[in-house]
Amino acid sequence: MIVVIGAGLAGLVAAVKLAEGGERVVVLAKGVGATHLSPCTIDVLGYAPDRVARPLDAIADLPADHPYVRVGRDAIVSAAAWWRESMGFVGSPEKNVLLPTAVGALKPSALVPETMAAGAGSDPVCVVGFRALKDFHAALLADNLVRAGIEARSVELDLRPEGRVDANSLAFARGFDDRVFRDAVVRAVSPRDGERVAFPAVLGLDGSAWRDVQERLGRPVFEVPTLPPSVPGMRVAKVLRERLRRAGGRVLLNNVVVGAERAGERVTALRVRVGLREVTYAADWVVLATGGFASGGLELDSRWQPHEVALGLPVTGVPAEQRFVPEYFAEHPMGRAGVVVGRDLRPEGLANVLVVGATLAGAQPWKEKSGDGISLATGHRAAELILGARATTAPAPDAPTESSPAEAR
Amino acid sequence: MASLETDVLVIGGGATGAGVAWDASLRGFDVILVDRADLAEGTSGRFHGLLHSGGRYVVKDPVAAEECVAENVVLRRIVADCIEDTGGLFVVTPDDDPAYGDAFMEGCRKTNLPAEEIGVDAALRMEPRLNPGIKRAFTVPDGSIDVWKTVWSLARGAQQHGARILTYHRVIDLHVEGDAVTGARLRNERTGEELDVNAGFTLNASGAWAAQIVKMAGIEGVGVIPGKGIMIAMNHRLVNTVINRCTLPADGDILVPIRTVSVIGTTDERAADPDDIPPTQEEVDAMLDDGERLVPGFREARALRVWAGVRPLFQDEKAGAAEVDTRDVSRTHAVVDHVARDGIGRLLTMSGGKLTTLRLMAQDLVDAMCRQLGEDRPCTTEEAIPPGNEDGELYSIGSRLRAREKTMQDEQLICECELIGRSKLEETMRRRETTILDDIRRSLRLGMGPCQGGFCIYRATGIEHGLDGIDAATASDSLRDFLQERWKGMWPILYGDQLRQARLDDWIFQGLLDVEHLP
Repeated sequence: MIVVIGAGLAGLVAAVKLAEGGERVVVLAKGVGATHLSPCTIDVLGYAPDRVARPLDAIADLPADHPYVRVGRDAIVSAAAWWRESMGFVGSPEKNVLLPTAVGALKPSALVPETMAAGAGSDPVCVVGFRALKDFHAALLADNLVRAGIEARSVELDLRPEGRVDANSLAFARGFDDRVFRDAVVRAVSPRDGERVAFPAVLGLDGSAWRDVQERLGRPVFEVPTLPPSVPGMRVAKVLRERLRRAGGRVLLNNVVVGAERAGERVTALRVRVGLREVTYAADWVVLATGGFASGGLELDSRWQPHEVALGLPVTGVPAEQRFVPEYFAEHPMGRAGVVVGRDLRPEGLANVLVVGATLAGAQPWKEKSGDGISLATGHRAAELILGARATTAPAPDAPTESSPAEAR
Repeated sequence: MASLETDVLVIGGGATGAGVAWDASLRGFDVILVDRADLAEGTSGRFHGLLHSGGRYVVKDPVAAEECVAENVVLRRIVADCIEDTGGLFVVTPDDDPAYGDAFMEGCRKTNLPAEEIGVDAALRMEPRLNPGIKRAFTVPDGSIDVWKTVWSLARGAQQHGARILTYHRVIDLHVEGDAVTGARLRNERTGEELDVNAGFTLNASGAWAAQIVKMAGIEGVGVIPGKGIMIAMNHRLVNTVINRCTLPADGDILVPIRTVSVIGTTDERAADPDDIPPTQEEVDAMLDDGERLVPGFREARALRVWAGVRPLFQDEKAGAAEVDTRDVSRTHAVVDHVARDGIGRLLTMSGGKLTTLRLMAQDLVDAMCRQLGEDRPCTTEEAIPPGNEDGELYSIGSRLRAREKTMQDEQLICECELIGRSKLEETMRRRETTILDDIRRSLRLGMGPCQGGFCIYRATGIEHGLDGIDAATASDSLRDFLQERWKGMWPILYGDQLRQARLDDWIFQGLLDVEHLP
């Protein structure tokens, strides 16, 4: 049994790849992953520290402990190819495109959902917003695009899903899945010749409304990600979990890994808190994908000691003093804190544990726009490494699992 | 250059200055109140929110205690909507001397402070999170006071009586003619334009900055000692009663429940420059340990924010003692008479004091002015009610939620943490004629909740940009400035859940919106 800890992008990628490679996989997670927060563009590398045009070429100049340097350029290429083919994304880590954000900044991304692809380019834009959606401000986006040299205008519609004056992205996505609401939106928008049309990223729970809206408006339509909950992130999570299920894997939420049993350099089992009970899962391999400080995979206590919460791995990169500096947008001393691993993604002294995603040391995901790229590349690489190791060694028979809670379910 | 005429120029828009403007305008003076920044942005906006019963001072500083005892009652009457009647406890912790409790009760008796000793069991029933090792407990009529509401209420009241309020106007010179101050030159900090105010009288209510102000009239040596104190806001009402350590005033000896948070304070250290008082890690660590002593498990709770304020302690050179422990300086206030001291007329400085006695300080200062002017205009602030407090009902936690529930289905909620609706936000932005989101924070508590603006800052920026005449460049600057302002109070105390929150906010502002690279 391979246990993946964490159901965010890195964990789900590793789990799907392993399950589709024939392995028995279970994902144990405290809750839904950070996909629900993510814009869901795969930003591979946007700034280092200047704006990056060609991410793959810029990787050589990253610090030696950066996750990309650890896994290597080929791993990024192969993860990106796998993602593009299997997830319906467009683009490549060879070259960044610039997509407008919800404030109207132009952010470098490498792989993007097809619903967002028309955001790249310099044609005029008509930004459509909704008075009832406080998490997206069309006029601000449009006016900042104008400041960046892109012709843009905005319209704000007073159409309300279910009549609500205060509706979030999810309510609007459900609205767009409703033919009547969608028709009303299409009727209310009149794009001009040559214009692209931008919407908040709420065009249907599965994105199918995007295609319909685009066809009926007769102009390129693109989604702009906005504040959580992230509808595009939910789509990705749903697709990955469905693929995992079809390949025989499972995701168990409310399963909090609180420790491990070890035999020498191997973790043999995980101690898991499920509600008020504590149970044990036998594990041949463990992929640790619990996220960083934002997701709770890493913690800093009030005496300034960092902890990796699931397995108690050492965390590096937290200075005893001056962990941050007073300027918000500066580079912060603990900005790259995390768990250090080798080229095989294993922390020192553990033979069957691989660490992936935001738990890893060496990157500044938000500052350099690399978070989802690292999760994809390392999650995918971890699966490749495990599959490779299982192919070359006689697989150890799974520990008896008849009494394990995973089987009991 | 433009110029304005007024009877009274009040310098400093903190609690004292707002109180002075209210008092003087009620007495029929024409008033201009100026501040280099927003109202209550200095010391007043950086305290813990305690409405003193006086208990803190009964042993060491009985004059200050008596003033608090009286003013506590007056403020509850005149600014009721700004005050929560939390009550207070003085507790003897295992580290404190139980005998101090006797001195404390004796002090309360002498100063007419209505204190009562209660059993330890009763105290623990009142506040179950209190250190169970406490040895004695005393109840006192402490409360908590929302300083921004108070200052704005007084300022609006003054405006209704004709006062003009110039925020973001820095005094860059005092005009002296012969042996009198005749006004000041101001610089509009937002436009850079300069402006003269010709004033019949100038009242210096600039607190810790008082010496810097009178220096512009050539007056040297006014001994205002900036006393730095740090405070930490915790994201819970860890207690619902003000908790004081029953000991001589010390660091970290008070925990004040106010609005949706509780604030622990404070330290006391002489600061060289009142504008340079960053909290240090040692101070933060010490304060968390002090919190642990009052409420075990304090370190496991979520700390939202840390800040430092600077007390305007007064120790004139003529009184000697150049080097003193700032904690030993009396907390009472004094009017500095520059005629007697420096031979300069039509100028008075308020020194020392504390928020709880703001009304009395204002009265004393305006009385002194009236004496110098030979005018007999009695003070009416003990009875007059400034706007917003007319119904006389004290604030209670949950009142915003109660109000919100009525409009839940009709209006967008822009700040979920502090329950701020869209119309209130738009109305405040228009009324205050500011694009500085931090000004809006002081009026509405925008961005002061657990997410420290993670969600509402983007929304407020978009709404601000939708107002007439606010362009995208201005709105984007507001967004960046507010992010920086929120960060300022968070970074020295980022651990636990608040670090997690800050990383989520990074995710939004850097990973999702890329605010850093806006044009």
